[in-house]
Amino acid sequence: MFLLSRRRLVAAAASALALTLGLTACGDDSDPAQELSANRSGAMENFKVGDQFKATEPVKFSILLLNNANYPVKPDWLFWQELEKRTNVTFDQVAVPGSDYEQKRSVLISAGDAPLIIPKTYHPSENAFVSSGAILPVSDYIDLMPNYKDKVAKWNLGPEIDGLRQSDGKYYLLPGLHEKAWQDYSLVVRTDILQELGLQEPKTWDDVYTMLKAMKAKYPNIYPMTDRYSQPRPTGNLYNILGSSYGAPGGWGFNHATWDAASGKYFYTAASDKWKDWVTFLNKLVSEKLLDPESFTQTDDQARSKIATDKSFVITGNAQALVNDYRADLAKNPKAQMKKIPLPIGPAGEVNPAPRLENGVMISTKAKDNKNFVAMMQLIDWLFYSDAGQEFAKLGIEGTTYTKDASGKPQIVDSINVVGMHPKAPKHLQKDYGFYNGVFAYGGKPELVQAFFSPEEQEYQKVLNARPAAPWVVPPPAPFTDEEREQATLWETGLRDYIEQQTLRFILGQRPLTEWDKYVTELKSKNMDQYMELQQKAYDRYKKEHG
Amino acid sequence: MVTLDAIRRPARRKRGIRPTRGYRAFMVVNAIVLTGVVVVTLYPFINIVARSMSDQAYIISGQVNLLPKGFNLSAYEHVMKDPMFWRNYRNTVFYTTVATVVALVLTTTYAYVLSKKHLKGRTFLVAVAVFTMFFNGGLIPNYILVTSLGLKNSVWAIALPNAISVFNLLVMKAFFESLPMDLEEAAAVDGLNTYGILFRIVLPLSKAIVATMVLFYAVSFWNSWFSAFLYMDKQELFPVTVYLRNLIAGSTGAEMAGAIAETDEAQVDATIKSVTIVLTTLPILTVYPFIQRYFVSGIMLGAVKG
Repeated sequence: MFLLSRRRLVAAAASALALTLGLTACGDDSDPAQELSANRSGAMENFKVGDQFKATEPVKFSILLLNNANYPVKPDWLFWQELEKRTNVTFDQVAVPGSDYEQKRSVLISAGDAPLIIPKTYHPSENAFVSSGAILPVSDYIDLMPNYKDKVAKWNLGPEIDGLRQSDGKYYLLPGLHEKAWQDYSLVVRTDILQELGLQEPKTWDDVYTMLKAMKAKYPNIYPMTDRYSQPRPTGNLYNILGSSYGAPGGWGFNHATWDAASGKYFYTAASDKWKDWVTFLNKLVSEKLLDPESFTQTDDQARSKIATDKSFVITGNAQALVNDYRADLAKNPKAQMKKIPLPIGPAGEVNPAPRLENGVMISTKAKDNKNFVAMMQLIDWLFYSDAGQEFAKLGIEGTTYTKDASGKPQIVDSINVVGMHPKAPKHLQKDYGFYNGVFAYGGKPELVQAFFSPEEQEYQKVLNARPAAPWVVPPPAPFTDEEREQATLWETGLRDYIEQQTLRFILGQRPLTEWDKYVTELKSKNMDQYMELQQKAYDRYKKEHG
Repeated sequence: MVTLDAIRRPARRKRGIRPTRGYRAFMVVNAIVLTGVVVVTLYPFINIVARSMSDQAYIISGQVNLLPKGFNLSAYEHVMKDPMFWRNYRNTVFYTTVATVVALVLTTTYAYVLSKKHLKGRTFLVAVAVFTMFFNGGLIPNYILVTSLGLKNSVWAIALPNAISVFNLLVMKAFFESLPMDLEEAAAVDGLNTYGILFRIVLPLSKAIVATMVLFYAVSFWNSWFSAFLYMDKQELFPVTVYLRNLIAGSTGAEMAGAIAETDEAQVDATIKSVTIVLTTLPILTVYPFIQRYFVSGIMLGAVKG
C-alpha cells in the first residue's frame, strides 16, 4: 500500500474523469455494423426473412442454459441434433440450475466469464450490466437480424421496444416478442358452487364482491376466497391483476412510477387514489370475512390445500395452475369444477394489462470479437424470431413430433405428451425431446403461443385478446443514467418495503384507511417526491435528446 | 460387629445418594423439556419420511402427519430411475471424500505446526488464519481467482478453497498443545524425527479429535452446494445437493415481474421433493451414531487442560 498524496489523488481522479468524459463523448460516430468484415466467417451472404439459416461452416457458440428441474437438459435431445442438422450450429452449454439462475448469471458477467449468448433475461435485470460494458448494445446490430426487424414492424412493437432503451438511446436486450398480449393470470372459481347458488360468472370486481357475499351467506363458516403467490411478497398476483384493473398495478407488475397517458406525466403508483381504491376494496373483502387474511402470508401449498378441502372456492392462478394444481387436487371430488374466468373489469375499463415483450437474450461484448459474430446474430434471429425457428423450438419436427391438420393447426402426435394433452403417452415433448423449452420457445403469433392450449383456454384468450392494451403498459422511455440509477435503487428499496408493509396493514384493517393522507406524507419523508423528480428529469432529458 | 440381622435382611438403602426433592423436581422438568425438544426436532423429519411414501392428494389436503396415507413407493421409483440423480449422488460421495481427506491433512499439519511454541513466526501464521475468519475477498474476486487457477469444473474447486476451517484449526491446535511434551521429547531422544513423532506418537493419540474433524468436515462438504453451483458448468458434475435445490426451489427462485414463462410454472410434486430429501440425508444419519461418541468428547478436548 503506497500512501496517496493528496496531489496524486486529485490527479488520478481528474484523469479518470477526463477518460470517462472522452469515452462518452466518443459515442457513435461510426456505424458499428459496418466494421464487421472480420466477423463474417460462417455467416450467410444474403440472409432474409423466411430463409432457413445455415452456417457455411460448422460453428460453436457458448450459451448459458437454464436447467429446469421439470425437464433437465439431456445431451441426446432431438432438439440439439436437429438444430445442428438445419443450421450447422452446436452449443457449448454452461448449465445453471434454475433455482439460482440470476445469481450465477450475475457472477459470470461480472467476472468477465460469461458465455456469448445469455437467454432467459427479464427486463429490467439487464440494466445492472449496462454500465460495466459487459453486454452488447444490441440495438446497433439489428440490421443483421431481418426476422426480428420484420416482426417489430409488423406487430407495431416500436413503442414497447423504446421502453427498453437506456440513457444512451440504445437497448441491450433482445426481448421475446408477442403479437398479442398474453394475460395468463386471472381469477379461478368453483363453477359448481356458482351453479348451486344460481350465480353468473362475475364480469367486474363488483360482481366478484356480490358472488363472494352470496357464497358466504350459504357457507358462513369459511372464507370464500383465498390466495397464493405470497412468497416473497404478499399476493404478488392478486395485487397485480386487481391493481391493473384500477390503473395502479402492484405485486408482480409493480413499478414505482406509472405513466398516466391522460396527463402526460408519471405518478407515484402507491400514493395514488387508484391504489387507495383497490386497497379499500380488499379491505372490504377482508373485513367482511370474504377473503382469507392468511392469503397474504401463507405458502402456495397451504392455499392449494384449502381449495382441495373445500375451505375456499375462489383463488387466483393461470392455465397451468388450473390444470396441474387445482383440478388435480380436486380430482377426488367429482362434483367440483374449476374455471379461470376472464380478468374481472375495474375502473380502468376493459383493458389487457399484459406486456407484449417478455424475457429475452443478452449478448456478451466478447461476441463482437468472435470471427463468427455475424453468423451468431443470424442464428439468434432465425431461432428466436423467424416463424420457422419459433415453430421448431416450440413444436419440434413436423411429421415426427407434430402434424398439421387441414386448417394448419398443429397437433402433437399421440405418443408424445406435453402440458397434459396425452397424459398416458410414453414420451414427453420437453423431457425426452427438448422442445417447448422455456429457454428457446416463447413469444410469437397467437396461433403458435396458444398452440396447445385447451379449448377453454383459447376461449379465455379470445376474450382477453379482444381487449385493448392498457395505456400504462407502454410508457415513453425515461432511462436513468448510472448515478441516477444508483440513487434511485437506494430510494426504491426503502419505498418498496414500506409500501408492502403499510398496504398489508391497511388491507387487514390494522391501520384505518382514514390515515391514508398520513401514509402519503410518510412516503414523502422516504424521498418519494425526489424519486418522482428524478423520473421526470429522465423523461424530459430523453425526450430532448432523442425526440 | 456383624449381627445376624444384617446378614439375613438385605440393606434397605439402594446404592447411591438419595436424591433431594429439588433434584427430583429438576429431573422431571428436565425430562419434559428434553422430550419437547426431541419431539419438535423429530417431527418434521418423520413427517418428511411419511410424505415421501404418501399419495400426492393426501399431502395437499394436509392429512399426512406421522404416518403415510395412500402408501405407495412410486415417488421413490421415479427418483431412483433418474440416472442424473445417481450420477450426482456419486459426485457428492466423491467430492465429500476427496475434500474431507484434503481438509483433514491440511488442517492437522497446520494445527500441529502451530502447536509448537518454539516455532519462529508462529504468531504470524496464526494471524493469517484468523484474518480470513473476519475478512473475505468477496464473491467475484474469489470466482476470478479460482477460475484463473484453472480449478473450474473439477473437484479441486470444491476441496481447496474451503479446505481449512479456522475454527476447526484452532480446536485441533489447542488439542495438540494439551498433549504432554515429555512424550515427544522421549521419542526424540529415541531417534524419531518430526514426521516420525507426528505419525507414530501424536496421531495415534489424537483419534478422538481426528474423528470429530472427519465428522465436521464430511457433514459440511456433504451439505455444500454453493461452491459446486458456482464453479461447475455441467450437470454431470453437480452434487446431489444442487439437484435437490433445483427441484425444490426451482421455479420460485426469483421474483419475476409479469408473466412467468408458460412452460416453467409447473411445480414438482411434494412427494418427489420429500423422497429426494430422505435419500440425501440418509447416509449422514446412518454414519452419525457410530461417530457420535467422539463428537461430544472431541469438542471438549481442546478446552480442558491438564
